[in-house]
Amino acid sequence: MPAAADSKKRKSTKHGTTTSSKRRAVAENDFAETLVTIQELETQIADSRKHYNNIATLIAMLGAPKNPELAVAVSLCRVFSRLIAAGNLTDSSRAADNEKIIVAWLKERCVEYQKALLAIMVEADAASQITALTLGMRLVKERVTHIPSADNTVWTSGMFKDIFEVVVEAPESDLRTEFVAKFVQEYDDVRYHTFALAAEYGAAKRSSEVLERLIEILSACEDVPDETHEFDNFYTETKNKRLVSVSSHKKRAQEAWLAILRNNLSKSQRKTLLRIMAPTIEPWFSRPELLMDFLTDSYNEGGSMSLLALSGLFYLIQEKNLDYPQFYHKLYSLLDADLLHSKHRSRFFRLLNTFLCSTHLPAALVASFIKRLSRLALNAPPSAIVVIVPFIYNFFKSHPTCTFMMHRASGKQGGEEDPFDPAEPDPTRTNALESSIWEIDTLQSHYHPNVAAIARIVSEQFTKQAYNLEDFLDHTYQGMVHAELGTEERPMRKVPVVEYQIPKRIFTDRLLLEEDGGVDSGPGCFLRELWDFS
Amino acid sequence: MPPSQLKQLKSSLKENGVLGPQQSKKQKRQNAKSGAASQNRNQRHAALQAIRDRFNPFEIKATGRQGKFDVTTRDGGSTTAARVRPGVTKSLGEERRRETLLQEMNSRNKVGGLVDRRFGENDPTMTPEERAAERFARESQRKMRKESMFNLEDEEDELELTHLGQSLTLDGANLDDFEAGELDAAESDEDSPRKRKRFLEDDEEMEDFIHDEEEDQPGRKKSKAEVMKEVIAKSKFYKHERQQAKEDDEDLREKLDQELPDLFEALRGVKPPPKPEPVTEDLAAMNPERAALLQEPESRNTEKEYDQRLKQLTFDKRSQPTDRTKTAEEMIEEEAERLKRLEEDRVRRMRGEPLSDEEEEEEEEQERKESRSEDEESVFDDAMAFGLPTNSFQPRSELDVEDEDDFIIDDDLVETRSDASLEFDDSDMEQEELSEEDESADEQEDELINGLTLPTNTIAGATSTAVKVDQAADGKLAFTYPCPNSHEQLLEIIKDVPVQDLPTVIQRVRALHHPRLHSENKAKLGRFAEILVEHVSYVGNETEQPQFTILENILRHVHSLAKTHPVNVATAFRARLRDMSQNRPLNLLPGDLLILTGISTIFPTSDHFHAVVTPAHLVLARYLGQCSTNTLADFATGAFAASLCLQYQTVSKRYMPEFINFTLNALCNLAPIEPATSLGFFPSRKPQEPVRLLTSSKKTTPRKLHFRDVVSSPADSQAAEDLKISLITTVASLLSSASDLWSSKSAFTEIFTPARAVLQHLRQCFKNKPFAAARESIKSALDTLDSHLTSAKELRRPLFLHNHKPLAIKSAIPKFEENFNPDKHYDPDRERAEANRLKAEYKRERKGALRELRKDASFVAREKLREKKERDAAYEHKYKRLVAEIQNEEGRAANDYERQKRARQGKR
Repeated sequence: MPAAADSKKRKSTKHGTTTSSKRRAVAENDFAETLVTIQELETQIADSRKHYNNIATLIAMLGAPKNPELAVAVSLCRVFSRLIAAGNLTDSSRAADNEKIIVAWLKERCVEYQKALLAIMVEADAASQITALTLGMRLVKERVTHIPSADNTVWTSGMFKDIFEVVVEAPESDLRTEFVAKFVQEYDDVRYHTFALAAEYGAAKRSSEVLERLIEILSACEDVPDETHEFDNFYTETKNKRLVSVSSHKKRAQEAWLAILRNNLSKSQRKTLLRIMAPTIEPWFSRPELLMDFLTDSYNEGGSMSLLALSGLFYLIQEKNLDYPQFYHKLYSLLDADLLHSKHRSRFFRLLNTFLCSTHLPAALVASFIKRLSRLALNAPPSAIVVIVPFIYNFFKSHPTCTFMMHRASGKQGGEEDPFDPAEPDPTRTNALESSIWEIDTLQSHYHPNVAAIARIVSEQFTKQAYNLEDFLDHTYQGMVHAELGTEERPMRKVPVVEYQIPKRIFTDRLLLEEDGGVDSGPGCFLRELWDFS
Repeated sequence: MPPSQLKQLKSSLKENGVLGPQQSKKQKRQNAKSGAASQNRNQRHAALQAIRDRFNPFEIKATGRQGKFDVTTRDGGSTTAARVRPGVTKSLGEERRRETLLQEMNSRNKVGGLVDRRFGENDPTMTPEERAAERFARESQRKMRKESMFNLEDEEDELELTHLGQSLTLDGANLDDFEAGELDAAESDEDSPRKRKRFLEDDEEMEDFIHDEEEDQPGRKKSKAEVMKEVIAKSKFYKHERQQAKEDDEDLREKLDQELPDLFEALRGVKPPPKPEPVTEDLAAMNPERAALLQEPESRNTEKEYDQRLKQLTFDKRSQPTDRTKTAEEMIEEEAERLKRLEEDRVRRMRGEPLSDEEEEEEEEQERKESRSEDEESVFDDAMAFGLPTNSFQPRSELDVEDEDDFIIDDDLVETRSDASLEFDDSDMEQEELSEEDESADEQEDELINGLTLPTNTIAGATSTAVKVDQAADGKLAFTYPCPNSHEQLLEIIKDVPVQDLPTVIQRVRALHHPRLHSENKAKLGRFAEILVEHVSYVGNETEQPQFTILENILRHVHSLAKTHPVNVATAFRARLRDMSQNRPLNLLPGDLLILTGISTIFPTSDHFHAVVTPAHLVLARYLGQCSTNTLADFATGAFAASLCLQYQTVSKRYMPEFINFTLNALCNLAPIEPATSLGFFPSRKPQEPVRLLTSSKKTTPRKLHFRDVVSSPADSQAAEDLKISLITTVASLLSSASDLWSSKSAFTEIFTPARAVLQHLRQCFKNKPFAAARESIKSALDTLDSHLTSAKELRRPLFLHNHKPLAIKSAIPKFEENFNPDKHYDPDRERAEANRLKAEYKRERKGALRELRKDASFVAREKLREKKERDAAYEHKYKRLVAEIQNEEGRAANDYERQKRARQGKR
């Protein structure tokens, strides 16, 4: 009988595939026919055990995993759910032998079906993948609910593990987003087991793409439960106590993250992790000190990596009493030529402001920072200068000893060496306190009038208590140009001044010999001297 | 016990010399002659008044407060003013009420009556003589006016003033029997009445005599006495006539004398000549209809003419001495003066100081800010104070107010200021300046448009001249071109024109649309200037080999147009800049470079803030700071932008960090060997593929960079190497020029030490033979840098920025007012003070009005009472009279009865 059904089905599918392209009506008819057949088979299974063979027929009808019959899969899912709910899939030692044979056969079919589903998830198109995922999760739910003994095995080694692995290894993102959005973010128990599996999975060395996907899945779990949180949104009905305790959740998450952090991460992944460290990862950790290794390693790496590690590290220092030797040395060394041009500039300045806001810092150290910042400002874009100057102003205000850097009556008549040693790595020994901020003084003649005006605040009376740094942070060239030009032309308030003399020549040496005796000294002669326009 | 009032009065009268011994007649006469009499009279009045006051102390009410100190002032002190006479004021008020209120009361409930509408009857300021004169004048005027020439009825029925049945018109002078002398004499001196009387007597006599004569002539023969009498009368008459004539002459002279000041005034020529009286006198004698007909057109014409003349006169400028033609030296001097002034303005703008005219505006602004600061203190952004946008892409539309203790920044910096108060003044000033500059600009303009614009009045004239000149130039081009409205139109116009002739086309468009020829031309040319700017960019981008002579010419045209249309040109340039910054900030096209070059010549790049130059700076700096330098063309573009930077800063010498970053990076990237260590604090950017100079290459020679290099990549490797080495030399020379520019900066050492390191590295690299040519330029740049560095080191001294006056500690002592006056209001809030003042005034007025009303009411009540009393008294009187009458009659009747009774009894 199965063979007959099989042949029939094969015929029908064949028929369906060949005609679908030709005539739609026929195909639809065919499709309806198939649906009727499936329905019939399904009801037969539900009616009596005699028709269990239909299961095999249906599984056979599923077709190739590349191009599955989804209706069949759905109906199979219903069949198995019903069987599981009825307890037909559970072994009982007291049962008769033939019973046992039937259960074993059913289990075999079930496994077969599961494998088919997984194959669909791997190979089929996105829509089918998502359906298969839903069906698989449905099976997981039924199993956990109705087979008490299967609780752990299903999650950790059974169906769910397989699903998880498929999801992580699938290159397409649709399946993953569906999994994350519909299950992981939605249900607490799914998330719990996902963390557990991720920890297990991440323990081994994995390729960077896989890690990328893991990170994606894990970082989607953003809302960390607080201490008093009560988990009540479960996918399955379970009585597992660990699932309702916050600490066990956190522990799982921590393990998962640690497994990832210990893996061989690429540089960009590290940066991503560092970037989400404070908002997403750290809250999951009940023992944040476990992050210490990762953070210090990143911090020691230098460059933008250090910048990103800073906030996490600072958190540890502040909260967990982490002893980071020569933190300020390191911080000082971070102030390098590229800092002001990097896109993490404002982030860094926010942190720097936090680190240096203490008034108990030694003046020599603060002076070194001031001097280094002003040195950097000489080569900085205007948007960075705009931050540095108020920053320095605030330093001067909170460390009055440093004001010698801008006002020092000296008896000598110039010609001194700058006492500041820019190469010295130790910020307390740079002698910056003996130096002056000539750089800022020079920036008072910056080409941009607003920047020049800001630079001028160091030579005005210090009447303002402090500048709000946040107002100066996020400026860009684009913003500044935009501020000058706007999106469209507005009527000008003032008639722009025009140069009163029309130059005799701009590009060429017109009339040069006739009028100026061959010596070009008019405006723009500089350009003509260097460039050949012809 | 004091003496009685009467005695006191007597003694005080004597004391004051009011009563005294009688003056003799002689004395009186003397006094009258010397004018002492009138003085005495005044004195007496004053003395009497003082005595009256003294004897009636309740008449005067002393004010509450006496003056504290005796002071002497020039105007005699205000002691009298301080005294109040309630009685007098009361009686005055009473009087006034009687005049007004009582009249009203009496005329209440009455209908009709007579209203005296005679002219001037109710005007107390006119004397009866004036009234009479005015009435007469009106009467005659009315007659003269002749409202309608077809009015037949008025002629005969017109009312006329008559005297003794005779008309009082001036038509016949003989009818006028009014003798001017009489009036004058009456007023002139004391003995006039007597004199007049005599005249009158004389007249009577004369009349008598004449009558006598007339009556007597046909009658009997005259007796000798009569003849004598006649002779005497005649002689008297003649004598009188002579006298009369003499007096007439005198009167006339007096009149003339009186008019003399007017005459003088007229001579001085201040007033315009008075309106000539319409000549009607002689016409008046004619038939009035005819007269009207004759008069009408002429008078209208004359009126019109008169009006015209008057207008001319009022609008005429009074002639002034013309300016002397200036000598050549003076012209030169003036020109130098003008240039000097312009240069001063430029320097002031460079420093960011306001121009003198703007200062007021700024103060106003400041004031406004202060007044607003209270409300808006809560929301402010520190960065806003510097004109920075709040967030990267959304500039706030209006500027928040900075903190009070914030430093004051130049208003020029703040672009988003929403103030347009004195805009007009600005533009006016600008216009003025422009017009001043016009003359000098004209020369340049002439050069540009080839003197095509002659100030002819008609377009036809202009075209004809243009045609003539053009024909001389070349015959192929069209002579007239429409003024294009968009760039597409321009392209359409010049589609068939060879590139070389573009300047001629522009010239002709400008000449044909000279603003003097048509009022719309100004706007057209403004648009044309914008299109030209667009065209420059277009030419730079589209054409492979832009013709720089043409471009130069266009840019100079734009410049000359910018003088008259600064806003248009600036707008066009800003539009280009906006396009650059939005579409290709890191990938400037050659056209953009040309636009930026144009900005450097057309606008003063040294200004502290300039609507075009500041964004241009930003665009350049952004390119230098962030551009990707992957190909040699990128490097060339960067080098051009860097040269432009230096050109922009030639005068103002402002520091540009991006320039240093770019040049040092370029040198490091182009150097044959990569520097082993970081050479300074400049950020390093690496090109994707190396562009280093090949050390193994053959001999390379640096050349002058060409604008072409910005777009085209070199043909072969040798050319590429040449380009590289020339880029290196150019950038090195840029560095040395920059060091010249910024040699006075306090951080010169910090800026150029890395540059020196880079150059030294290059020199190290150029030890090989193939680079011999470049070695020289590197060396010279290094030498310049070294010399500047040493001098900078010598000049360096610690900063001494805070040499301010120490800030005053805030005082908590209340502000005491010296000479505090409780009556004075010290409210610093002007509006509130004003409101309080108005309130007080209102209160005062209200009180006054209430008082007046109350007084009125009491007056009315009093009057009513009086009337009632009068009525009662009259009634009483009447009653009594009637009673008395009746009694009288009764008594008489009783008496009669008694009498009759007695008589009857007596009979009996």
